[in-house]
Amino acid sequence: MALVHNWHLGRTMEYPYFESRPEHQFAAVFNINRCIACQTCTMAHKSTWTYSKGQEYMWWNNVETKPYGGYPQHWDHKILQLLWDNGNNPMEWYTSAEDKDETKAPYGLYNGDTIFELARTKELNQVAVGYIPDDKEWRFPNIYEDTAASEKTNYETGPAAESSELPEHKRWFFYLQRLCNHCTYPACLAACPRKAIYKRKEDGIVLIDQKRCRGYRKCVEQCPYKKPMYRGETRMSEKCIGCYPRVEGKDPITKGRRMEARCMAACVGKIRLNGLLTGDYKKPDPKNPMDWLIHIHKVALPLYPQFGTEPNIYYIPPRWAPRSYLRQMFGPGVDEALDKYASPSRTLMAVLQLFRTTQTMLSRFEIEDGEKIYESEIMGKKVEVYNDTVIGFASDGTEMVRVKVEEPTWESDEKRMITY
Amino acid sequence: MIKCLLRKSVFLASVFVVVFLLYNGNVFTQGLDKEISLEENIPTKEGLTVKYIAADLDGADLALGQADPFKVELQIQDLTFPNGGGSVQEVSIRGFHNGETIFFGIKWSDDSKNDRAIAHAQFRDAVGLMFPLETVKVISPEKPFSPRMGDRGKPVNIWHWKADWEKELSVAGGKEHMEDEYPNMFTDFDFNPNPIGFHSESYESASLMAGGISAGSLLSLGNRGSSVEDLNAVGFGTLTSQEHQDVKGKGSWSNGKWDVVIYRPMTTPDENDVQFVPGMSTFLNTAVWNGIEGDRNGQKSISLRWRPLKIENVK
Repeated sequence: MALVHNWHLGRTMEYPYFESRPEHQFAAVFNINRCIACQTCTMAHKSTWTYSKGQEYMWWNNVETKPYGGYPQHWDHKILQLLWDNGNNPMEWYTSAEDKDETKAPYGLYNGDTIFELARTKELNQVAVGYIPDDKEWRFPNIYEDTAASEKTNYETGPAAESSELPEHKRWFFYLQRLCNHCTYPACLAACPRKAIYKRKEDGIVLIDQKRCRGYRKCVEQCPYKKPMYRGETRMSEKCIGCYPRVEGKDPITKGRRMEARCMAACVGKIRLNGLLTGDYKKPDPKNPMDWLIHIHKVALPLYPQFGTEPNIYYIPPRWAPRSYLRQMFGPGVDEALDKYASPSRTLMAVLQLFRTTQTMLSRFEIEDGEKIYESEIMGKKVEVYNDTVIGFASDGTEMVRVKVEEPTWESDEKRMITY
Repeated sequence: MIKCLLRKSVFLASVFVVVFLLYNGNVFTQGLDKEISLEENIPTKEGLTVKYIAADLDGADLALGQADPFKVELQIQDLTFPNGGGSVQEVSIRGFHNGETIFFGIKWSDDSKNDRAIAHAQFRDAVGLMFPLETVKVISPEKPFSPRMGDRGKPVNIWHWKADWEKELSVAGGKEHMEDEYPNMFTDFDFNPNPIGFHSESYESASLMAGGISAGSLLSLGNRGSSVEDLNAVGFGTLTSQEHQDVKGKGSWSNGKWDVVIYRPMTTPDENDVQFVPGMSTFLNTAVWNGIEGDRNGQKSISLRWRPLKIENVK
């Protein structure tokens, strides 16, 4: 095992290969607060990549209802359960100021074992702790859709209004959008005994080489997010390919510029922003929208950072769900992220407007100041909204999009209305 | 003077730290493979003699009955991750040749017949024979030859019989499909319910999206014409299927026992194949995969130490 730095955990950890970060990292920010679970992303993925035989059950992108839903069923409960072992606590973090570091340990220090470390501690003779989901678990991709959790019954909770008050709703659920995290330390890659899985140097996309794969399903077993899947028809495993031809700019629509993945570009609710992170996490670019949201403003958080794979899909947590549940899912950065999202700064307000405005990946943003349009108090904090203009640029410097914080509206003249 | 001493001691301390870390192996080793022990390079005394019997494939079972069974004890594969195996303790191997073709008959106990690998947690039964690619006269700690799938510069030839490939020899189209495992499934691509214009683009691009099939992998393709895969390796993780597949086999399962025959012409024009000449001797290793136990890749029962293999002269 080599020692590598995982900035999600704020420490070095054990991994079978040396630290080797890509020049840029495929990443996305999902604003859970906005998702309506229309599954357009899911269908965009399905109709693009997995409509063939043996892929019937495959949903490289899926949206599940938390806390009960999951595809494959109970995937996260099962991995968390595997991580609770012999005093290992997957919820143990040190979060005092001295345990934090602006770039190397922004959320604090994780004290539990990762999936890699626990496999060593337990002498499992495997790279990581994991399991292969059976057919039954793959069968219902949207089980428990819209099923709410509640500590009390409807009768006990009382009027609906009372159970849906911020900061935490007493009866709650939220949608979790999931695809391959194209991790910095992929467990699938570590698990493959043939090195058939590789992480691309140019954009960090993780791929399975279909010429080298022999269908051993070690990746299926040891990816904690359960995103590599076995295709019985070809006796091989397949996984999300990050729409790499689009990311490379092969689609003529964006004229050779990098393009967002299919599931990202299809998002109806405008919850998704897809782009590339700067390869060196210690030197984030404050003008890159992905770097800004994730590294600098820290409003978007990794999914289950304690697994230790440094996943690269980041989430703005839902405001209404219980904080303890969110901390388990997104780590201790939840409180800071939610505070920032609930009373957004001027920059955040502007950057959020960039979500789903163009298919081209944006690598830089600029903000032009506008006049103040709104003032209020949210959760005891003063919020001022300015009608700033945010401009998004492609990596070649071309201006791709220019939007204002306040969406322009237009009212028809009363004279145009005809009544009979 | 003190400065010089200080500098020296700092230098020595850093050397010590580096040596410690290297020895400790935590920082500077990449991968998970342990060192191969010296004992593993000592072949066993007893070996397999491939008798000369003038019989062909039709008489192979009878001829193998005349050959002496050579019992090979198997053990868990515990060197490289993922570890596993150990559920099959012993195989018996017999061999004969008729001057043109070499036959190996392999028998082992397995209570369950696993001849399909379509569902997520479904794994096949299999057996492998491994030979040094080049003729090797001596294997010893002084002249090592890794019994763990060969080594760099020391390639091996592996013949891998697979229970599902055996079954697929007799299946229409030479391949089992999803609907063999899931008979009630609906599939868009075996028949076209709305022939004109209905999803024609996706229908036509289906072959492009066929992953392993478009990559040309033998595992994904049907009509292989053999139940044995002809492979090479130069160590862990390097197993590669050959361009020319020369090995054939037949196998059957009954009463909790697999009975497999693997055969090949003694010599082939393929430089990646081991060549057998009457009178020669080389080495043999074997491994068995038990599908019900989830055996695949390194999760297998192995013979570990090389077994001497002697090819009888033509009489």
